[in-house]
Amino acid sequence: MSFINLENITKTYERRAESVLALDNVSFAAELGEFVCLLGVSGCGKSTLLKILAGLESPSGGTATVSGEPLAGPHRDASVVFQEHGLFPWMTVRKNVSFNLKARGVPARDRADIVDKQIETVGLRGFEEKYPHELSGGMRQRVGIARALTTNPKLLLMDEPFGALDAQTRTIMQDELLRVWAFYRSTIVFVTHGIEEAVYLADRIVVMTPRPGRIRRVINVDLPRPRDPTTPQFNEVVRMVLGEIHDDITRLIRA
Amino acid sequence: MTSRSWGWPLGVIPLIAVVAAWEITARAGVYSVALFPTPAQTANVFIKDWSLLLRHTEASLARVVVGVGIAFVTAVPLGLLIGRYKTLDRIMDWTIQIFRCFPGIALIPLAIMFFGIGDRPAIILIWLAAFWPLLISTIFGVKNVERTLLSVARAASAPDLLVLRDILLPSALPSILTGFRLAAGAGWLTVVTAEMIAVRSGLGYMILYAQMTFRPDQIVAGIIIIGAFGLLFDQLIRLLRNYFCRWQEGLVLEA
Repeated sequence: MSFINLENITKTYERRAESVLALDNVSFAAELGEFVCLLGVSGCGKSTLLKILAGLESPSGGTATVSGEPLAGPHRDASVVFQEHGLFPWMTVRKNVSFNLKARGVPARDRADIVDKQIETVGLRGFEEKYPHELSGGMRQRVGIARALTTNPKLLLMDEPFGALDAQTRTIMQDELLRVWAFYRSTIVFVTHGIEEAVYLADRIVVMTPRPGRIRRVINVDLPRPRDPTTPQFNEVVRMVLGEIHDDITRLIRA
Repeated sequence: MTSRSWGWPLGVIPLIAVVAAWEITARAGVYSVALFPTPAQTANVFIKDWSLLLRHTEASLARVVVGVGIAFVTAVPLGLLIGRYKTLDRIMDWTIQIFRCFPGIALIPLAIMFFGIGDRPAIILIWLAAFWPLLISTIFGVKNVERTLLSVARAASAPDLLVLRDILLPSALPSILTGFRLAAGAGWLTVVTAEMIAVRSGLGYMILYAQMTFRPDQIVAGIIIIGAFGLLFDQLIRLLRNYFCRWQEGLVLEA
């Protein structure tokens, strides 16, 4: 059995009288240490799938397991990095990074070392007492990542974490994330709508298609790391992925 | 922000203008100085009758501090719970909307019947007057919490008490302090009304008594004290807000 198993997951939302099928019979598995990108246009259910893995939503049908245990709420081996960072504006960087440990009831003196270490890992030393609004977008997302890493997660779930960043900062953050991943070797499930981002980061790209959300194709990215987005091999993969979702994009634009 | 709070007190300009107009109209004989005192006569009350003013001001202040204090420690926790738990909100909503419309003055006869003449009916009326604005602004503040932050807490399996204390309370604090300003104002208005009927001390009682002994100068002096403390409360709560909500600096137009 794989580290993550999703079998025949369906999810329907009741909106007023009609019910919307957000995920239709989605199955896939990932091994420990794998970097998986969920890629697709908006409405393809990639964020919903991530929320199910995070235990924030329960599927309407099918089974989801992490570490062989069926999910009933958030799994203790999993951590989430949210879109728009999800930092508490009234907490300093240090308190924000401490939050997940505090939520687990880790006493203050045991938290301090772990928190300092993670702040160091993401390169935020010297900013411990700053408030989120005093930081740049990239730094805020580093805080979000540091917070997620404090519980030593085997599964890191990331919901378009770099979506709000400018192109330059995003590139830097992608490299930072790969560095952290290479060190911790946790499984990462990373939601994005950026094709190049997915090709740059992922071992495997799960291409999803909207209305209802389904897996269209799973693409293995066999390019050696560090990857260079300017090479023909890289572009070949980009083109292949684009071919898979091209119809969805044009349909989305026309709609 | 600092330059605005601590710069020239521009707020005194209209006050000086009012006093000047008061003095000029008195000298010009626009009204009878036997019915309405001149600024000098009023100032004289503060010099000659200071012990009387002090005694009644103390009595009123004590009632307001106790009444609004009780309102704060009852309304804020209840508001946090109502804002947090939807069912409780649905249970309480109608009741709140009905009870908050009861004018304090209409309850004075009942309060006297139950508690007699003295501090207790006055404090209870102040508590009621201050309770509703605090409760409503606390509920409002809690409901305005950013959705993502609650997802962060849920993904981290944060216990309810931590969510209330570390997320909902600080998130609602700006709104709670706005409610506190309204509550202090309402409490101050109520104490004067209550003292005119239900107690034999305090500024309200002093003003009513001055009418009977025909001392308009004492009436005006009492009114000035009421206004001055209204301003003082407001400024104090503003300072509290600047301190406790300093994380908001730079996020909102005016903290």
